[in-house]
Amino acid sequence: MTIAPDASRSASKKTRKLPMKQRYQALTRDLDWEPSYVDPKDMFPYTEFEGIKIHDWSKWEDPFRLTVDAYAKYQAEKDKRLYAVLDGFAQGQGHLSLTDASYLNTMKLFLQGVTPLEYQAHRNFAYLARHLAGPGPRFAALCQSIDEIRHAQTEIHTLSNYNKYYSGLHNYLQQHDRVWYLSVPKSFFDDALSAGPFEFLIAIGFSFEYLLTNLLFVPFMSGASFNGDLPTMTFGFSAQSDESRHMTLGLEAIKFLLEQDEDNVPIVQEWIDKWFWRGYRVTGLVAQMLDYMLPRKVMSWKEAFELYFEQQMMQGLFQDLAFYGITPPRHVEQALSEKEILSHQVYWVLYQFSHAAAFTTSVPDDEHMAWLSATYPDTFDKYFRPLWEKERRNIAAGGRHFVRGLPQLCQVCQIPMTFTEPGDPTTIAQRVSVYEGEKFNTCSDGCQWIFEREPEKYVQAWLPVHQIYQGNCGGPTLPDVLAWYGLQDGDSGEHKGSRDDLNWQRWHAQTPTGLGAEGEQ
Amino acid sequence: MAVKAIGEYRFPSRSRQELYGDDQLVSVWFADNPWWCAAAMFRAPQAMTWGDFWTQMVVPYAEEDPDWKADAAYSFSLWGVPLTPRPDQTLAELGIEHKDVIALRAA
Ligand SMILES: [Fe+2]
Ligand SMILES: [Fe+2]
Ligand SMILES: [Zn+2]
Repeated sequence: MTIAPDASRSASKKTRKLPMKQRYQALTRDLDWEPSYVDPKDMFPYTEFEGIKIHDWSKWEDPFRLTVDAYAKYQAEKDKRLYAVLDGFAQGQGHLSLTDASYLNTMKLFLQGVTPLEYQAHRNFAYLARHLAGPGPRFAALCQSIDEIRHAQTEIHTLSNYNKYYSGLHNYLQQHDRVWYLSVPKSFFDDALSAGPFEFLIAIGFSFEYLLTNLLFVPFMSGASFNGDLPTMTFGFSAQSDESRHMTLGLEAIKFLLEQDEDNVPIVQEWIDKWFWRGYRVTGLVAQMLDYMLPRKVMSWKEAFELYFEQQMMQGLFQDLAFYGITPPRHVEQALSEKEILSHQVYWVLYQFSHAAAFTTSVPDDEHMAWLSATYPDTFDKYFRPLWEKERRNIAAGGRHFVRGLPQLCQVCQIPMTFTEPGDPTTIAQRVSVYEGEKFNTCSDGCQWIFEREPEKYVQAWLPVHQIYQGNCGGPTLPDVLAWYGLQDGDSGEHKGSRDDLNWQRWHAQTPTGLGAEGEQ
Repeated sequence: MAVKAIGEYRFPSRSRQELYGDDQLVSVWFADNPWWCAAAMFRAPQAMTWGDFWTQMVVPYAEEDPDWKADAAYSFSLWGVPLTPRPDQTLAELGIEHKDVIALRAA
């Protein structure tokens, strides 16, 4: 503090300080005005075409009463703490105290798949901060827009230290735009970005940030804390207070829309139906991360799904929303029925296509398989262990299961068509729709319903396999495509014997405790 | 239901058949073999014979499965309708269209 006590006392006498609530009101509402010489429809041209009716924007509640001033101070404090941790971790060679080099596969997926979405969220919340017709939600969107670009930046900084020592982290932006599995999160978010402002609020503000956040974002942070990744864990803590604001905004957005006009209810319901399933399909990547990629497990996907979705959302949130006439999302039964098979199916995909990915995979070892059996007693031994046993025999005979070709993709979620018929984990689901004489393949009733609701939108999907076959991805051969993906030696394939694995063993042979200085006797 | 948009909303399909010239995309779904996480998708000429499709595309792909037997008997179907291809028939003659899925099972 540089202001002398006397000076501050005399200043406070002259300028009467408003209480927080009024200050916030002054900052947001009183900066709003009624246009006098411009038609309000020209000022806010995007608030009507989706069919949403808003009668009174002042009914929007501002639960946080944050000011720009307070925001900047608070975030600066948090960032200072984060960057102190990053410096300390880098100086102390903290990466050597991770559980294993393979842990970083989760962070590769995060940096390639999630961080670019933070930036996209920043852009679209900035758009909302301009184009929503009420000052309350505009200011909330502005704060979230700034949060999201901070998240993108701090995630990049947090993970950049690992890039000095490990593969797969060096080209995440190009890969986000090009690589097949990253088209899953990218196309999910592009779908939201290309929707109207209210659909975006329900898609990202509500479905992503509220309904599914504990299944999409939080597991990466918990995984970090269980695997010695102090920087990511600290980033997670730093983002937590932002995220609770984002959750509140998402909930406020949906309640506001539902309360403004009864005609909004069926529109919002369809958005919930669509965005639950879109988001849920993306969680497949998180499911495999929890059950397969993490060397030290936090909780199983099944446990996470039961706690964060079944208990908190189905039994909590949707009972509250029933008051407005909102029902649980369409196709939720299918999601519930997949909880014991999802992670296994998705990892089996990543495993056999990891020669074309910017992460590595491996057959689960005995201990890991025992955990999977115990955690998934009804499904793992019956359906999935036999596949891994077969792959072990294949490896013993000199093979390694890398598919020599390209998979069929779902037109909507863009995941290879691996998902199975409801109640039958052995039969892959095949759905086909014909639109303007052309066939479109989808992986499930959920994706098919989304396609048929807006076929004009999804016929434009940039499907990685189709693009390769059209010659748009660097050339006709696999090495051409991998070069166009920006992959380098060591980024892809089997983890055992990979560059990261060999480095890891070498470093730990030099420093047997894994922590450097002391060493073992 | 159509997309609600601020203007006219009409764009061509990004994977329409004409983008592949005389070829088309065809998937082969090994319906009773969980070794394959998903059906395989190929780009094949519409005039390709089933025999060539089988030996030049399906077999080289399927051989990666250590238990695969190229000369075993298989049954085929197209959207639930049995398909009995002769090696000299072209994909077009068999009624296989762009983005069709041929299901294959051990007979
Ligand atoms: Fe964020
Ligand atoms: Fe957020
Ligand atoms: Zn799908």
